[in-house]
Amino acid sequence: MTTYNRPVLAPSVELIGVCKSYGRFRAVDELSLQVSGGAIFGLLGPNGAGKTTTIRMIMDIIAPDRGEVRLFGRPRAAEDLLRIGYLPEERGLYRKMTVGDQLVFLGRLRGLSRRDADAATTLWLERVGLASWRRKKVEELSKGMQQKIQLVGTVLHEPDILILDEPFSGLDPINQGLFKDLLADYRRGGRTVIFSTHIMEQAEKLCDEICLISGGKTILSGPLDEVKRRHGGRAYRLEASGELDRAADVPGVETALVLDGSVKLILEPEAEGAAVLRELVGFLAVTEFRSEEPSLEEIFIRSVQDAS
Amino acid sequence: MRAENVWVIATREYLARIRTKGFWIATIGLPVLMAAVLILPALLLTRTTSAHRLVIVDTTGELGEALIAELRDDSEFRKALDQLDETLDGVDTSALDDKLQGFVPLLEAPDADLERQRAELDQRIMTGEIDAWVWISEQGLAEDRIEYHAESVSNFVTQERLGRAASSVIRSFRLADAGLDVEQIERLQRSVSLTTLRVTEAGSREQSAATGVMLAYTLFFMLYISILVYGQQVMLGVIEEKSSRIVEVIVATTRPVELMMGKLAGICCVALTQLAIWLGTVALLTLPPVVARLGALPEGIDIPTLDPWLVVHFFAFFILGFILFSSFYGSVGAAFNNIQEAQQFAGIGAIFAVAPMLLFWMVLNDPDSSLSVVASLIPFFTPLLMLLRLAVKAPPWWQVALGYALTVSLALATIWLSARIYRVGILMYGKKPSLPEIWRWIRYS
Repeated sequence: MTTYNRPVLAPSVELIGVCKSYGRFRAVDELSLQVSGGAIFGLLGPNGAGKTTTIRMIMDIIAPDRGEVRLFGRPRAAEDLLRIGYLPEERGLYRKMTVGDQLVFLGRLRGLSRRDADAATTLWLERVGLASWRRKKVEELSKGMQQKIQLVGTVLHEPDILILDEPFSGLDPINQGLFKDLLADYRRGGRTVIFSTHIMEQAEKLCDEICLISGGKTILSGPLDEVKRRHGGRAYRLEASGELDRAADVPGVETALVLDGSVKLILEPEAEGAAVLRELVGFLAVTEFRSEEPSLEEIFIRSVQDAS
Repeated sequence: MRAENVWVIATREYLARIRTKGFWIATIGLPVLMAAVLILPALLLTRTTSAHRLVIVDTTGELGEALIAELRDDSEFRKALDQLDETLDGVDTSALDDKLQGFVPLLEAPDADLERQRAELDQRIMTGEIDAWVWISEQGLAEDRIEYHAESVSNFVTQERLGRAASSVIRSFRLADAGLDVEQIERLQRSVSLTTLRVTEAGSREQSAATGVMLAYTLFFMLYISILVYGQQVMLGVIEEKSSRIVEVIVATTRPVELMMGKLAGICCVALTQLAIWLGTVALLTLPPVVARLGALPEGIDIPTLDPWLVVHFFAFFILGFILFSSFYGSVGAAFNNIQEAQQFAGIGAIFAVAPMLLFWMVLNDPDSSLSVVASLIPFFTPLLMLLRLAVKAPPWWQVALGYALTVSLALATIWLSARIYRVGILMYGKKPSLPEIWRWIRYS
C-alpha cells in the first residue's frame, strides 16, 4: 500500500456537479471529484458505473449536460488538453501505417512540431526497446508490441496529466510492468495520473487517491489511507482454540468466517471491539484478536451494496 | 477548429493512399487502357501478318481478274497502306501490298476435269499450301452465290470483305452486261453525310457528333466514377478508424469535425491527383503532333480539344460532388460498426448517383429542355448533369450560377449534418443504431 504523505498541489482535475444522460439513461449523475496535482488517482467502479463517460467528459470528447470541468485550477481551455496524455479503453492503431509515421502523426496532433515529434519518437522507441521496428507496419507487430506503441503514443508529448482508461485490461505481464513503472515515474516527477479500473487490487497497490463511483454517482472518495480508515474498524482477526463456530452467535458480530483455526469477524456497525472480545474470552482460548484493515475490494463491495 | 490538425490529418490520409500500389495501378492503368483502345486497332491493322492465301477459280472466265483487282483495292486497307508509304517515305513497299491487304489471291484457270481440280484444291488446303479457294461458276451466279472453301469458316471479317468485293465486281459486271454506265450509276447513288458544326461563343467549329458525345461521355463518367469511388473510400476509411479503435486516440486532442474535414480534404486531394493525371494524359494525347502520329482513327471521330473552362468546371463540380457524397458516406461509416451494416445504407447514396445516369441520354439529346434544366438544378444531380450540359452546349450563365449556388449551399448543409452524426457515431460501438437514434445524435448539443 502506498501511504499518502505527499505535498498536496493545486488540483489538476476537478469536476463540479457534472451530469450526463443518454436518452433517459443517466450515465453520470451530479458527479464531483478532485484530483490533487502529483497524485496517482484511481477512478473505480463496476462495469457501467460511468467511468468512461466521466473520462470522456474530462477530455472534452463529450460535453456534460450540466456541471463544470476544471483543469490545472481553472476552467478548461482547449490548449489544456494538449497537456494531457489520454489512453482510451477502446484503443488501436492504423494497421497499414509504419510505427514511426504513426507516432510522429500522433505527436503532431498533440501539438508537437514535426521535428520534436520525430525526436520524441526516436527517444521513446529506444526506451521501450522497439527502435528497430520503426519502419515496420503496425500489422507486423505482435499484440504486446502494439500495446507498447499505444503507450508511447500517449506519453510522447510529455503530458502533465496522464489519463488511462482501464489501462491494464488485456496487457501481458511485461507490459503491465512497463505501465506500472511509468506511473511511478510520473508520480516521482510530480505529475498526475488518473486511471480507471474495476480491479480493486491494482488500485489498492498503485493509488494515492480514489473515487469510487457506481450508477454514475460518487460512493466514496478521498486519499486511499483515509478511505480505509473511515471504512475500517469493523473487521477483526481472531486466533483462538475452542468452539470457533459459536463466534457468530456473539452479540455485535455480523458475520464470522472460520478458516484454518482463525476467524475473520465483521462486527455490526455499532458494536465495540472490546465488548465482543469479552464475550469471546468466555468460551474460547484467545491467543490473538486484532483490528484488520479492510481491502479496497471489501470496501467496494460493501459500499456498492449499501448504496443500492 | 484548429487548421493545424486538419492539415496533419489530411497529409496523413493523402500520403497513406498515394503510397499504395492500388492507387498507381488504377491511375496508370486506366490511361494505358484508354490509349490501348485508341491505338491498338490501328496498330493491328498495319501489322497484319497472317495473309489469306486464296486461290480463285473462275469457270466463267469473266470475273476472276476483276475480283483480284477489287481485293487489292479495298479502300480501308488502301488507307492504312498509304499511311505506311508516307511513314516509310522513299522505301518501295509494293512488295508488301498483298501481304498488308490480308489477301494473297491467285487466279487459276479451270481444269478439264473440274471434280479432280476441286479435290486437288482441298488437298492443297490440307497440306497448308493455301488457306482457302473460291469457286465461281455460271450455275452459282444464276443462284447469286459463289463458293468459299476453307479449313476454318469462322473468319467472319475475311468472309465479309471477300463477299463485299465479289458482290461489287459482279454488280458492275451485270450493269455493264445490261448496257448501263457503271460509273454514272455509282455517282448517282452516292449518299450524303452530315457535317456537324458546333456553334459556341468563340465561333463555329467543325466537330463531329460522335466526337461531342465521346467528350461528354468521357467527362461525365470520369466524374461519376470518381465521386462514387472516392465517396466510398471515405466511408471505408471511417469504418477502418472505428473498427481499429484508433478514432478515440485521435479525438483526444482533435475535434471530430477536424478529423472529418482532414479526411475529406486528404482523400479529395488523392482524387484530384488522379483526375489531374488522367486529364493530363488526355490533353497530351490530343496534342496535334501526337494525334498526327497516332493516325488511323475510326471514320467520323476526330480528336476533341479540351476547353480549359470546361476543365475548370470539371474540377469545381468534382469537389462539390465529392463533398456531397463523401460527407454522406462519412456519416454512414461513422454510424455503423462494419462494412456489412454500412453497405445497406450506402445504397441510398447510390440512388442519387444513378439518377443522373438515367437522365444522361435525355440531357445529351436535348440539353435545353425544361426537364434537363430542372434536373441539372437539383443539387445532388448538378455536378454531373450541369457538367454534361456544359460539355454539350453552353447553358445560360444564370443557370450555371444557380446550379453552383444551390450545390454549394447543400454541400455546406451536408457537411454540418454529417459532422453532427459523425462526432457521436465514431464513439458508439456495439448495437446497430436505428434511424430515430441517429436523429437524436443530430440533435445532441
